[in-house]
Amino acid sequence: MAKTILAVDDSGSLRQMVAFSLKAAGYDVVQAVDGQDGLNKAKEKTVDLVLTDQNMPIMDGLTLIKNLRELGSYQKVPILMLTTESSDEMKAKGKAAGANGWLVKPFDPKRLIEVVQKVIGS
Amino acid sequence: MEIKTLPIAELRKLLAAVSDHGKQHLIEVEADLLQTTFLLSEAIEKLSASFTAVHEAVCEQQQVLDALAAKYAIDKPVLEKLELFKSKIGDEVNVAVTSLQFQDLTSQLIARTIKRVNGLKDLLHEVESHSNEMDPNHEHEEIVKFLEEMSNSLQVGSHALSGGLRRSVGQKDMATGEIDLF
Repeated sequence: MAKTILAVDDSGSLRQMVAFSLKAAGYDVVQAVDGQDGLNKAKEKTVDLVLTDQNMPIMDGLTLIKNLRELGSYQKVPILMLTTESSDEMKAKGKAAGANGWLVKPFDPKRLIEVVQKVIGS
Repeated sequence: MEIKTLPIAELRKLLAAVSDHGKQHLIEVEADLLQTTFLLSEAIEKLSASFTAVHEAVCEQQQVLDALAAKYAIDKPVLEKLELFKSKIGDEVNVAVTSLQFQDLTSQLIARTIKRVNGLKDLLHEVESHSNEMDPNHEHEEIVKFLEEMSNSLQVGSHALSGGLRRSVGQKDMATGEIDLF
């Protein structure tokens, strides 16, 4: 059974590129348009990995991670940030919130798949 | 000759003109940026749809080629050439997916600029409002106080505007970003 990845980003084109890359590698992808939508979808169905943007309306990525980590079912689910932010300060905040990795946009699909496979397997 | 009062009417006229002209230009800037956003959104939508369709067609074509190669004896050099094409297509798809993320970066920059433009419009409006409070009958000290208040208000407003903006996008090109696993 294919593993499911929750892709959270307010940019439709970015979500489309993430979904395209992950689906081509055999993963199922659930998409969410902001942190709140991501949290709602994560509650509806437990996923194997969360890939989230930072700067989004309604709820940002760091807040989403903190909320997910408070849910029992998401305490050990890997969460990766995929964002334009690249400062060490923001990475430290992400790590403190519970992120397992930080990817700076734009992403290379091949490298994204390598990272995802390393974190959750094929 | 010592001048003890400021030419308030002229000063008010100048500040009103700065505010009006400034706001008018900023309205035009905002309209152009919104139009750019709209055009970029439509362009990326069509590009993404075409890209996906081309990719699907190429994948199907590859399946047909694989089936033909399994059914018929095809020369080794031809098969090697087909493999080479397959690999090249894969590499180009990767580059395209990376490049097609431009709209996410540019839309963030444009949104930040529009927010700054709107903030500047508010600041210019404030200049006009403050200048309206000045009256030619006011004493010199009162006028000085008005101008100081206006200056402080602009400084505070400008600071708040910068603080309220999202962080700027640092990417200067479409090169792939770094990856850190914690």
